[in-house]
Amino acid sequence: MIVEHAFLVGFSKSFGLFYLIALSIAVVIYAMWPSNKKRFDDAAQSIFHDEGGPCR
Amino acid sequence: MIAQLTLIERQRAIAICIAVAVGGALIMLGGRDDVMGIHGALIFVAGMLMIFRIGMSYYAPEPSEDRLTRYYDDPSRAGIVLAMIWVVFALAVGDWVAWQLVEPNLTFGPAWSSFGRLRPVHTTGVIFGFGGNALIATSFYVVQRTSRARLPDQVTPWFVLLGYNLFCLLAVTGYLMGITQSKEYAEPEWYVDLWLVVVWVIYFVLYLRTLARRKEPHIYVSNWYYMAFILVVAILHIVNNLAVPISLTSAKSYSAFAGVQDAMTEWWYGHNAVAFFLTAGFLGMMYYYLPIRAGRPIYSYRMSIISFWGITFFYMWAGSHHLHYTALPQWVQTLGMTFSLMLLIPSWGSAGNLLLTLNGAWDKVRDDATLRFMMVAAVFYGLTTFEGSFMAIRSVNSLSHYTDWTVGHVHAGALGWVAMITFGAIYASVPWLWKREQMYSPRLVEVHFWLALSGTVIYVFSMWNSGIVQGLMWRTYNEGGTLAFSFIDTLVAMHPYYIARAVGGLFFLIGGCVGAYNVWMTILQPGAAASQAGDVPQPPPASGVLQPAE
Amino acid sequence: MSIFGFHYRMESKAIGLTIGIIVVASIGGLVEIAPLFTIHQTVEDAPDMRVYTPLELAGRNIYIREGCYACHSQMIRTLRDDVDRYGPYSLAVESKYDHPMLWGSKRTGPDLARIGEKYSDQWHVAHLNNPRDVVPVSVMPAYNWLMTTELRTSDLGLHLKAQRAVGVPYTDDMIANAAQDAFAQANPDSPLADGVTKRYGKATTMRSFDGKPSVLTEMDALVAYLQILGRLTEAAHKPVAQAEAAK
Repeated sequence: MIVEHAFLVGFSKSFGLFYLIALSIAVVIYAMWPSNKKRFDDAAQSIFHDEGGPCR
Repeated sequence: MIAQLTLIERQRAIAICIAVAVGGALIMLGGRDDVMGIHGALIFVAGMLMIFRIGMSYYAPEPSEDRLTRYYDDPSRAGIVLAMIWVVFALAVGDWVAWQLVEPNLTFGPAWSSFGRLRPVHTTGVIFGFGGNALIATSFYVVQRTSRARLPDQVTPWFVLLGYNLFCLLAVTGYLMGITQSKEYAEPEWYVDLWLVVVWVIYFVLYLRTLARRKEPHIYVSNWYYMAFILVVAILHIVNNLAVPISLTSAKSYSAFAGVQDAMTEWWYGHNAVAFFLTAGFLGMMYYYLPIRAGRPIYSYRMSIISFWGITFFYMWAGSHHLHYTALPQWVQTLGMTFSLMLLIPSWGSAGNLLLTLNGAWDKVRDDATLRFMMVAAVFYGLTTFEGSFMAIRSVNSLSHYTDWTVGHVHAGALGWVAMITFGAIYASVPWLWKREQMYSPRLVEVHFWLALSGTVIYVFSMWNSGIVQGLMWRTYNEGGTLAFSFIDTLVAMHPYYIARAVGGLFFLIGGCVGAYNVWMTILQPGAAASQAGDVPQPPPASGVLQPAE
Repeated sequence: MSIFGFHYRMESKAIGLTIGIIVVASIGGLVEIAPLFTIHQTVEDAPDMRVYTPLELAGRNIYIREGCYACHSQMIRTLRDDVDRYGPYSLAVESKYDHPMLWGSKRTGPDLARIGEKYSDQWHVAHLNNPRDVVPVSVMPAYNWLMTTELRTSDLGLHLKAQRAVGVPYTDDMIANAAQDAFAQANPDSPLADGVTKRYGKATTMRSFDGKPSVLTEMDALVAYLQILGRLTEAAHKPVAQAEAAK
């Protein structure tokens, strides 16, 4: 099977752009989603109360 | 340390060491007509030494059950000590080769000490020996704390740490004997690469097993970075090192790729080794140690997540900026350049986030050299990523490429960012790990900080100068339309900068030695038994050293 | 059962993260690199391109072993001053048999892509033996042991075989005679010399590179390699090819 070089290049150039935009939007939505805020704030604080030893 | 292992764990450890020793013996016999045989002997000896070490403590009483109420930190302690050994060794080699460019007779004659063989010893020593050990040690530390979970067993972390150091040792001794694939930052030959794959897969599984034990529902962002580091390095390593050995008893192999494909694969690897080994891993370190040391949570946790995906995504495309104006198709070069510029967003997101975290804690930055190491690391991270994006622009690259500017850029990142955050993390975690109130001498931490900072600045400035001067000289034309300078002319012009560079490197090396001494003396301080007893802080040593406010 | 459910939820999250990282990170590399494996469809062909002789390949391995690539590039960029200084810019086809490529990343010394036959064998031997004998301000290390170290030829057949496995068109004949071809290339008066030209072409450089025909040294191999650099094909010197590549 011969894959056309021009096809692969074209695919790279076009698909790459859409992929970039879609992924950026998805990440920003995930990070900014209001109901995630509490989880993230808790996570940021979580490293300060750890020295009790492992839970398991 | 062996006494912390249960009997069954001791047996498992011995079984693993026997397997390693047998493997070494096979390589030794099979490769006896080749330099590979020497490596076999080395592996065999390493395996036997470990068997004896475990055997000596084999009948020591088993640890009590209450070990499970504490984190398992022995591998982290060993990893930090190994990192300090590697950094002193590798910085010394680096400075030696820097002086060789000033006075070439400093090779003293033998084949193993020429620049071409020592250079990968330096790069592997600092990146994998120092950086890798620090990453493994801190990742074990951080994943346990952030997950509230103990490492799932006590043999695997040792296998990862010691197996990894065996990899580094084989790599470095191999270069001295002339065993190399010539792929930059991936020089070890096929059998050493295979060993690293084994170690790395086990490392990754260990990380997942620890995370699976966690109580916190959310995985703290440091672990994201550490996981990206482990995973992507595995992908990069396996793909870039695909090769066919000439026989199973010879060290020599030929890369599966040739020419332009090989160049693209190599720099896809090379650039992402920077991204995922030297950036993602150390950002994981930074996102844990800087907030802890500053006593303030990360400024924007959301930004850290956006930066994470940005780095994971953008970096992969940027490798081709190493190949501007070469035989690589131009559209790939342009793609690499574009993504390199976009990389600035997540990079500065991280750098800004970390610096903003320090808002309200600047008094601590002033007083605490450990925190200052981390602050300077964040600043250099911001500067270096900006410089990197700038140098990825084709027209800038036409001037900077092949010159010392690249070397300066790399060292701004490696010394200013990677080494600074690592020293910061080590100074923070050594007292915690060995249950000391503070480092043996905070004054020496201060000394180390200023040596490291001045060494970095001298190094980077001299390389900027030398690189730009050389780049401009190469492209200068006479009025008659001929080149104005021969290559040798540019070499003569480099000489003073090479001296300055070697001096800067020497500063950094002395700083590293001071750090190693300080860490060692902290470990030797009285109170070693406290590591078993609990968290009772020990009185500071009666050494008479002045102690700045902590 | 609730304990199992708890475990499962935890692990699925970590594994989800793992898969996310793999997918996001792999695509960039794939999209960039995959098209390059079809690049031969567009790159100019070079019918005159020949493979390295066993002696040149051995020399190339010494170049790799000593880390020469750390200071010398083999890639002339499409920049005016690069071309004026080093010669016609490098084409992709010229390194198609280079496993691995040695394009390099730093020019502490000059580019070597077209160094072949620019200097005499004697110059190279003297220069490698001690660079400062011919270039007083050079910072290159001396490689004086090359002259006294005999070249290992016994496994050259294996080298060619491995090269063939990764795609270099060595014939059975070449593989079977690798060791003696290496010897004969540096001993043009030996009766075996005809075999070298028969297998690798009339243009093959046949001479005692280190000036000592009696022994085959590592110096022979390295100089033979340096003298073939940029000369495996004439493609880069042809104006047509230049125009093709510039498109």
